[in-house]
Amino acid sequence: MSPFPGPLAALIAEFERLPGVGVKSAQRLAFHVLRMPVDDVRRFGQALTQARESLGFCRVCQNISEGETCEICSDPRRRADQICVVAEPKDIAAMERLNEYRGLYHVLHGLLSPLDGIGPENLKMRELIERLRDESMQEVVVATNPTVEGDTTALYLARLIKPLGVRVTRLAHGMPVGGELDYADTATLLSAFEYRREL
Amino acid sequence: MIARLRLSHFRNYESIEVGWSPNLNLVVGKNAQGKTNLLEAVFLLSSGRVMRASQDARAVRHGAESATVEGVLQNRDVLSVVLKRAGRKTASVHGSPLRRASDLIGRFPTVSFSAADLALARGEPQDRRQFMDEEMSQIFPAYLRDLTVYKRALAQRNALLKAHAETRLEPELILPWDERLAEAGSALREARQEWIQELSPLTSAAHGRLAGSEKLSLSYEANDEANDRGGFLGALRSRLSDDLRRGRTSVGPHLDDLVIAVAGQPLRHFGSQGQQRSAVVSIKLATLESLQGRIGRPPTLLLDDVFSDLDIDRRDELVRSLVQLGGQTIITCTEESQVSADLLREANILRVSSGRVS
Repeated sequence: MSPFPGPLAALIAEFERLPGVGVKSAQRLAFHVLRMPVDDVRRFGQALTQARESLGFCRVCQNISEGETCEICSDPRRRADQICVVAEPKDIAAMERLNEYRGLYHVLHGLLSPLDGIGPENLKMRELIERLRDESMQEVVVATNPTVEGDTTALYLARLIKPLGVRVTRLAHGMPVGGELDYADTATLLSAFEYRREL
Repeated sequence: MIARLRLSHFRNYESIEVGWSPNLNLVVGKNAQGKTNLLEAVFLLSSGRVMRASQDARAVRHGAESATVEGVLQNRDVLSVVLKRAGRKTASVHGSPLRRASDLIGRFPTVSFSAADLALARGEPQDRRQFMDEEMSQIFPAYLRDLTVYKRALAQRNALLKAHAETRLEPELILPWDERLAEAGSALREARQEWIQELSPLTSAAHGRLAGSEKLSLSYEANDEANDRGGFLGALRSRLSDDLRRGRTSVGPHLDDLVIAVAGQPLRHFGSQGQQRSAVVSIKLATLESLQGRIGRPPTLLLDDVFSDLDIDRRDELVRSLVQLGGQTIITCTEESQVSADLLREANILRVSSGRVS
């Protein structure tokens, strides 16, 4: 039995269902809500419902979108012959900060991971292949993380895409710019050394 | 080499600070006073993990939420690890957090020896692989990286095999995992073979000094014929139907072994306890020499209660070997009388009694 009154116990239970929130944090958050002004709580509730109800996924690139197609996909100034493949919507934000990449995106919504029961059918891969059937498509840039799963997913995609006659590239990994050799973590330095290039 | 060690809420210590000599350090005390805990704290800074097969949370002192172990090395590097009762441990260098605690490996190399290391001689192949993995990770960052990749890719491939025990597995689904495994796996096997070739004569020499005439040899025993990336891929492909049936991968360095033989007989099956002990001590001494050769300075040697089982001759020979190597050494023992008088004069002696060090 919960030692808290029903509505409070229910609120704690809801917080606990969020990723990364344990029992203690859920209780702390719930007690915080009780101390918040009622107007703030109402606004918070509305933001939750509104975000969930008004947002969906772009039918082209699978990014989070307010309309049927997202802003990037409907922007005529973007290059339509280049697609950058990322694991999560948040990775698009990182690429966009570059202000350099002018092509389109595709969000897989995860990476291959048999340990978590995730295969190609659980990712937005079929949708990606469909987009590549367009003959004007030139290049797919795979921008998954340099982890075992990220690298393997990139390898899998490359095998799938190359037969379609589209160029497949992968983001390079190495030293952070402006970083000092002395302070680079060993794994980063190692990969920068292995992928060194001729001057 | 470690100069100072600070502990708070680690095992049975509330809050202490200990200074270390660059040469011989003797940690003396009765059983269950905290000698080994002190050694373990030093090992934690070297490896990023607790020594005994226990969980991080159990190293946090009763009643505390977290334990902190901080060491100042002789080169002024400050390494620290925070263990939490709930949640992941964190490690940092000069106060900046590392991505993983295992990123500490290589900054403060150590070689340790305790009774548990006898598993090297009489235990399972897994114990010997763990020995190679730990020592080689300290020397070769690429080895540690390949090992991490290999373990993860192996777990993923096995999960894929299990998931397709009953249903058809498309070859293109398993191929990318095979490629990751073949690349990391062939690198691991090659590196281990090379290192064992280097270690074997060093071990024989150490064993000759320690145990006399019996000849000791080390040889790397590969589980299969796959020697390079291509051979590895081929072997994975040809064993696939078998692997699917068994739900695990039957090719690779995760199945290899290190054969330790005395006078041509594998020690695991034929050795007496005394033979096994001197073989393991010899391997550890050789490891120390190898690390010293590779990193240009002697690693710190951690010896936990090794005197109680050695007879006086072998004990003296062991200590002589250590002094000859000339690095920092930390030895725990129950009685000062276990060490000869001339060594005692030079040693930094730390007396441990119920969580206090004097």
